[in-house]
Amino acid sequence: MNPQLLLDLQKFYPELALTAAFLCVIVADIAFPRIRKRLTFAIAALGLAVAFFLSLPLIGEPAGTIFSGSLALDEMAVFFKCFLIATSLLVLLAAPGSKELSQRHMGEFYMLLLGVTLSMLLLASSVDMLMLYLSLEMVSIGSYVMVGYLKNDRQSNEASLKYLLFGTVATGAMLYGITILYGLTGTTKIALLREALATNIATGENAAMLLIATALIVAGFGFKTAAVPFHFWCPDVYTGAPTPVTAFLSVAPKAAGFAILIRFFFTGFAESGSPGSWTAFSFIDWRLLIIVISVVTMTFGNIAALRQNNIKRLLAYSSIAHAGYILMGTVVLNSQGLQSVLIYLITYLFMNLGAFLIVIEIFNRTGSFDIDDYRGLSRRSPFLTIAMTIFMLSLMGIPPFAGFFGKLYVFGAAVNNDLAWFAVVGALNSVISVYYYARVIRAMIIEPGRETSLIPLPWTSHVMVWIMLLPTVGLMLFWNDIQQLTMSSLRLFLG
Amino acid sequence: MIGLGHFLVISAALFSLGIMCVLTRKNAVNVLMGVELILNSANINLVAFSKFSAGNMSGQIFAIFIIVIAAAEAAVALAIVLSMYRIIKSVDLDRADTLKG
Amino acid sequence: MDNNLLAQIVFYSFAVLTVGSAAVVVFSKSLIRSAFALLFTFFGVAALYAFLGADFLAAAQMVIYVGGILVLLLFGVMLTHKLYDLNLRSETFQFVPALVVAAAVFAVIVTFMLRTSWHTGPPASDAPTTAAIGELLMTDYILPFEAASILLLVAMIGAAMIVRRRSE
Repeated sequence: MNPQLLLDLQKFYPELALTAAFLCVIVADIAFPRIRKRLTFAIAALGLAVAFFLSLPLIGEPAGTIFSGSLALDEMAVFFKCFLIATSLLVLLAAPGSKELSQRHMGEFYMLLLGVTLSMLLLASSVDMLMLYLSLEMVSIGSYVMVGYLKNDRQSNEASLKYLLFGTVATGAMLYGITILYGLTGTTKIALLREALATNIATGENAAMLLIATALIVAGFGFKTAAVPFHFWCPDVYTGAPTPVTAFLSVAPKAAGFAILIRFFFTGFAESGSPGSWTAFSFIDWRLLIIVISVVTMTFGNIAALRQNNIKRLLAYSSIAHAGYILMGTVVLNSQGLQSVLIYLITYLFMNLGAFLIVIEIFNRTGSFDIDDYRGLSRRSPFLTIAMTIFMLSLMGIPPFAGFFGKLYVFGAAVNNDLAWFAVVGALNSVISVYYYARVIRAMIIEPGRETSLIPLPWTSHVMVWIMLLPTVGLMLFWNDIQQLTMSSLRLFLG
Repeated sequence: MIGLGHFLVISAALFSLGIMCVLTRKNAVNVLMGVELILNSANINLVAFSKFSAGNMSGQIFAIFIIVIAAAEAAVALAIVLSMYRIIKSVDLDRADTLKG
Repeated sequence: MDNNLLAQIVFYSFAVLTVGSAAVVVFSKSLIRSAFALLFTFFGVAALYAFLGADFLAAAQMVIYVGGILVLLLFGVMLTHKLYDLNLRSETFQFVPALVVAAAVFAVIVTFMLRTSWHTGPPASDAPTTAAIGELLMTDYILPFEAASILLLVAMIGAAMIVRRRSE
């Protein structure tokens, strides 16, 4: 056996732990039919927790690649490993509390969750276009099945089919773009693209072909991050999928999509100048392309959210808008912009998962996703009302909640880098968003409802809500730590 | 002499036919056929570049993985289509319309 | 006859077979006819691989695409229609706009592709590729190889889970 391979495996422990848990869940599900529900849950939770703690020692490893240049190991990769595993763990803990799922056979769900998590880890650190495409498809195929998990439910099925058809076309287009890049450079390694394109840059040759390739590849990233105009699937899929899956999709694959978008463009299509800043290749203006996508995405998301009556659909459009804000951070080509992306993702994780958690709890009791059925909730469950209000205020970006700081950093990065108009567009968008988030709050607190019976909340749900609530409220107390954590996570392997 | 350009034209033709198929077909299985055309066009590109332009094997290896992915995707896709058919007795995409708003 | 000319004749006939049957897939009104036309497209693409010296890939294309994926698609067609219904119509919509879009895509891609100066690396050898591919899969591409096995496992269990009839 190649000795290098053994060394690489030692830096691969988180993924190995996830693979082991993935296989154990499959075996346990078949071998112990009596206790399989609890056993598979325990194995999945343990696997994710172990993977999380195995990721931590990787901080501080020298930046480099493993497995013959397939994956990068750098601070950014470790940050996303921890982030993605944490998201999956939170969704896993919330899943048994959802009535949509809990009456079903759960073994396959845990298996899919672990498989998709593993693929996202690979995706977020891919530095080879083959690995990138393969892991992107792994994430997608796993997600199609998760969306269609309620196989007797018509909406879940339709959502799954739409997701599948849209996803295969978008990733197929992306693949075509990747093949063009391979033809132009003769390599599939992202870090080598920059070098190989150097002669093209000097002469301005092949600019049109590169632009076509870039546009096609952006289609794939746009699909994963649900950016306009590749968002069509998003509202339908988020509405039709089981709510824990919606919560998962709205955070984890999106974050992985941003991770690979940053990695791809910053290592392949930009030159690193002074420490922590990049210059985009001038003749393919991918930066302008992403600015346009960002503005259109946030504006569309916010305006479309205004007329939604279904809470899952509302949160779907809201998540499209948030993808627009996050994209703002990526076009500022320096470490400040990248840091703002990471900070935004951390805040978004807790407030968005928190909002979906409340949606799950309310659905368990009322069986409805209609915002009109949230009327009078303040009497039926003051705790859920307060928690939901805080999540909504945080999503609006109202201080002192976490969402405010995320927006502050993203807009601040734009202003500091001569994109003040861009920040103004973002701020105007936030103002629009106040309207629809406030509608949810108004329904819960002001409008009277017909039902008045109290909503009982099991202790597990209490714990879960608190887990999301505390960071949303108290993140600012640890602001220095978060700043340092994200600051030290910025290093990208550049080849 | 048959060169790179010949293969690229065939691949571009398959790619645009695939796009056409995806845009016009109502039947879900038919749309999947269009997707297979797109994947095949990308594969022709990869193999042709592998021979004429890159001069290394990575294009061919990439193509093998795409065939594997296409197989996995087709299996899941057919499962979802069949499950859909069981519920609404149709695979026409305009019958999949309960998610609107 | 000249060898070169013969090669050209063979190449062009496979090119016409590939693109022509792909056109049947897209424009045919009958679903079954589309599926069988796809068979010839896959076959033509395999022949093109052989032309490019990718012998292993040509075989894989025949075995997996023709033997696996196409059969799967045919099952999809048959299981979602009544078997005695020989006239499996597949309706189309937005025909003209889509035709314009597809034609534009074709024109743009071909125009720029033929003008582009592609990378030129060392000339490829004409040696059989199977051994080299096997070695690369076990060395440089070991991680994608293992990841693909996870993908197949996820796809297999996922597909079985969705179509299993018994509801819990």
